[in-house]
Amino acid sequence: MTRRVVTIAATAIALAGAARPAAAQQPPSSQPTFRWDDHPSIHLGKGTHIDFRARFQLDGRRSDAPLTDDDDAEFDIARRRLGVEGEIKNIVEFQIEREIASDDGWRDVYANYKQFDAVQVQGGKFKLPFSLDENTSPTNLDFIYRSRAATFLAPGRDRGVMVHGRVAKRILRYEVGLFEHDGRNARTNDIKRVAGGRTIAGRLRVEPFRRSKSVMRELEAGIAFTGSDVEEGFPGLRGRTALDSAFFRPDYLVNGRRRRVGVEAQWRPGPFSLKSEYIRVSDERLALSVEDTDLSALTSNGWYVSGTWAVTGEKKASGLDTPKKPLFRGGFGALEVAARVERLAFRSDAAGQTPSTSPRADVILGNGEDVLTFGVSWYLNRWLKVQGNVIRESIDDPAQGPLPSQGLFWSRVVRFQLSI
Amino acid sequence: MRRVLACAIGLAAAVMATAQPVDAQSADELFDAQTLHEIRLLINSKDLQLLRANFTENTYYPADLIWGGGGQRVRNVGVRSRGLGSRNGNKLGLRVDFDRYTTGQRFAGLASIVLDNLLQDPAMVRERVAMAFFNRVGVPAPLESFCRLFINNEYQGVYAIVEELEPAFAARTLGEDSGFLFEYHYVQSFHAEDLGDLSAYKPLFEPRNHEDDADAVLYGSIRDLFREANVDDGTWRERVEPFLDLTAFVRLIAAENFLAENDGILGYAGMNNFYLYRFAGTTRQQILPWDKDNTFLQTDFPIASRLDENVLTRRLLAYDDLRAAYLDTLDQCARSAVEDDWLVSEVARSAALIADAAHADTRKLFSNDEFDAGVAFLNEFAAQRPAFVATAVAAAR
Repeated sequence: MTRRVVTIAATAIALAGAARPAAAQQPPSSQPTFRWDDHPSIHLGKGTHIDFRARFQLDGRRSDAPLTDDDDAEFDIARRRLGVEGEIKNIVEFQIEREIASDDGWRDVYANYKQFDAVQVQGGKFKLPFSLDENTSPTNLDFIYRSRAATFLAPGRDRGVMVHGRVAKRILRYEVGLFEHDGRNARTNDIKRVAGGRTIAGRLRVEPFRRSKSVMRELEAGIAFTGSDVEEGFPGLRGRTALDSAFFRPDYLVNGRRRRVGVEAQWRPGPFSLKSEYIRVSDERLALSVEDTDLSALTSNGWYVSGTWAVTGEKKASGLDTPKKPLFRGGFGALEVAARVERLAFRSDAAGQTPSTSPRADVILGNGEDVLTFGVSWYLNRWLKVQGNVIRESIDDPAQGPLPSQGLFWSRVVRFQLSI
Repeated sequence: MRRVLACAIGLAAAVMATAQPVDAQSADELFDAQTLHEIRLLINSKDLQLLRANFTENTYYPADLIWGGGGQRVRNVGVRSRGLGSRNGNKLGLRVDFDRYTTGQRFAGLASIVLDNLLQDPAMVRERVAMAFFNRVGVPAPLESFCRLFINNEYQGVYAIVEELEPAFAARTLGEDSGFLFEYHYVQSFHAEDLGDLSAYKPLFEPRNHEDDADAVLYGSIRDLFREANVDDGTWRERVEPFLDLTAFVRLIAAENFLAENDGILGYAGMNNFYLYRFAGTTRQQILPWDKDNTFLQTDFPIASRLDENVLTRRLLAYDDLRAAYLDTLDQCARSAVEDDWLVSEVARSAALIADAAHADTRKLFSNDEFDAGVAFLNEFAAQRPAFVATAVAAAR
C-alpha cells in the first residue's frame, strides 16, 4: 500500500515538473494539436477539443467502529476513474467517465447542447439536478466524504434528459429533467430492494446579488425536488455511517410515490465559505398495513451546515484546485480548514404506538445519526490534493449501528487524490 | 448541551424501542380452559396468500393479534406456519411471536404462543386434555386452552392455544429459565442409540435459546447422554444419571403410556414430540412432552408398549426401583384419572365447549360425524382406560 502512495506522489511530482504552459508547447493551429496544460488535450480547431481526464484516490482509514471492507481495513482505493470530456464548436459539450474495476463502471456519459445560455439540453447519464453537495465535483469537495444527506438521500446519477439554463441576467438558474429511475444512490445490489421508476426532477437556484460588488455577490440559494413512483418492496434508501456501516436498514415496505424536497444555500465571501442543505425524502406506503390500508409515510431527513477557510488566502468561489503558488513552484499550495455538522434520520410519520421492526409497522423503529467532521485540505498543485478528516459520529440507537454497545465513536481518514 | 441532547434522544429511542408488555391479559386468562376464547389475526392479504401458498416454509409474516371480545390488540406480531404432519395451507397451524418485530413485547407475559390447528385429531381435544393430564400428574407440560380463530375476519376453525416451550415455561415449571432448551425434530427413526459425534445430534435437537453458543456447549451433554446410555459395563445408572433426570423421565414415559401415546418418546417410529431442557450450569437434562395429537390411541394400549425398543427405557427398567417407580406412576395416573371423575368429565367438558365451533369449522379434515364419533371414543377411553391400566399394573408387579 505504501508503494501505491509513493507511486501516486511521484507521478504528481513528475507532472508538476513536466507540465509547462500550453502556449509554450504548441502554437495555435487549425490542425489537430496535442496539448498538456491541466490535462492531456487534443484540439481540433476553434471551439473543438477532447480532454483526457483521470482521477485516483487512495484512502487510509481508522475507526473505533469496525470497518466494512473485507480486503483491506486500513487502506482503500476509493476511486480509479478515466474519462474524456470536451466541446464541439462551442455548441456541444460532452463527458464520458468510467470507474475502473467496478460493477457499475459508467459514471457520467452525456452530451449537452449549450448554444443558448437560457435553454440548454442535456441527455445521457448524469447526476439528477438535486443537492448542492451531490453535484459538487470530487475535486472540489471540502471534505473527504460528501454529507450523509447528499450521499444517501440525493438521487445521484441516472439516464435521462434535462433542460437547463440561466435566465434573468444569469441570476436564476434552472434545471428540469426526466429520468429513467431516481438515481444510483437509492439502489442497492439487493434484488429485494426497489427504486423509483420514471422520475421527474427539478432544481432552481438564485444568486440574488450576482450583479452586486459586495461580499453578498457569492450568495446562492436553491430549492429542488424529485418525484417518482416506487413499486412495492423494501426501499434502497438506507442509513450508513461515514465509513459505510449500516445504522438503519429499512426493512419496511414502501409502495407509492417517492418525493424528495431539498433546500440549499451557500455563501463564499473571499477565502471563506458557508454551506448548508436540507433534504427530505418521503415514501408512501399505500395498502401495506395488515388490514390492507395505508401506512404512514416513511420519512428520511438530512441536513448539514459546513464552513471552510482557505488559510492561504485563495478565493473560495474561484476554487482552490489550482493554487496560486503550487508546491515545487515556489509555493506551498493551498491550505483549507473546514468543519461540518450534520444529521441523517429515518422515521415514519405516525406516532402513538410502540416502534417496531415489522415491515408493515405504522410506527417504525427509526434511527438517526449526528456527525461532526473536522477537515484539512491541502492542494499541493493542480493535480495533487491531500485531505485529512476527523469524524465524530453519534447514533441515536446504537443497537442498530456498528457498535451496538456504543453510540459515540471517532474515525480518522486521510485521502490522497491525483487528478489529471 | 449538545451531548445532553444526544443522550436524551438516545435514551428516548432506547425506551421507545423496548416495548411495554401488553399486560392487561394474564396467562391464567389466556389458558382458561373453561372458556372458548376468540383470537383474530389481521394479516395483509398478500402476505396471507403467500403464507397459505408456502405453508411448508417457516417464513414469518407481520400481523396484529386481537384478543377476545374486548378487542385488545397486540400490534406487529410475527406469524409463521408450523407443524410437521399437521402443516396445512388451508387450516394453518401457526406460531405467533410477540417479540419478533418489537423487542421485549409480551402478551400475557409470553413471548410467543402456538395456535394448534388440531388437524390430526378428529375429536380435537386430545392435545389439550393430554397436556392437562400431564400437569395434573406432575409432568411439566404446556398450558392450553381452546379458541375460535379468525383471520381477516374469516372464521378458520377451532384451535388450541398452546403455551410455547420457552424460557418463561421453564421458569414456571422447572424453577429456572437460563438453561438450554432444545426442540427435538424427527429426522430418522431414533431409539436413543449412540449416534457418534456432535454433528449427528445437530439436525435432531434445535436450540431454542443460546443459539449462538459453540456446538460443544450446545450438544456436548446430549451426545454424552446417548453415548453413556449405550455403554454396557454394569454402571449404566451411574453413567446416565448425570445427564438425565431419571425420575422425571420415568414419570413422563409412564404418563405417556397411560395416555396411550403413539407418537411420543416410545412412538411407533421412534422418539418424537418432545423438548429437552438442560439445567443451567449442569449436565442434567429433562425431557418434556410436546404435541399430543396422537394420544388416546386405544383403551387397551399395553402399559409395556415399546419399552424394549428404546435404549433408555430398556436399560432403565432393568433396575428394580426404577421399574417399580414406573408401575407406581402408572397406578397413580389411573387413580388420578378417576379421582373426581376427572378424565371423563374433562373429555366431556372440552368436547362440549368446542362442539358448536367444531361443527362450524369447515377447514378441519374430518366430518362432523367423525368429530362426534371421535368424542364418543374418547369418552369410552376415559371411562375404561384407568381400570385397564390399574389391572395391568397389578399383573405386572
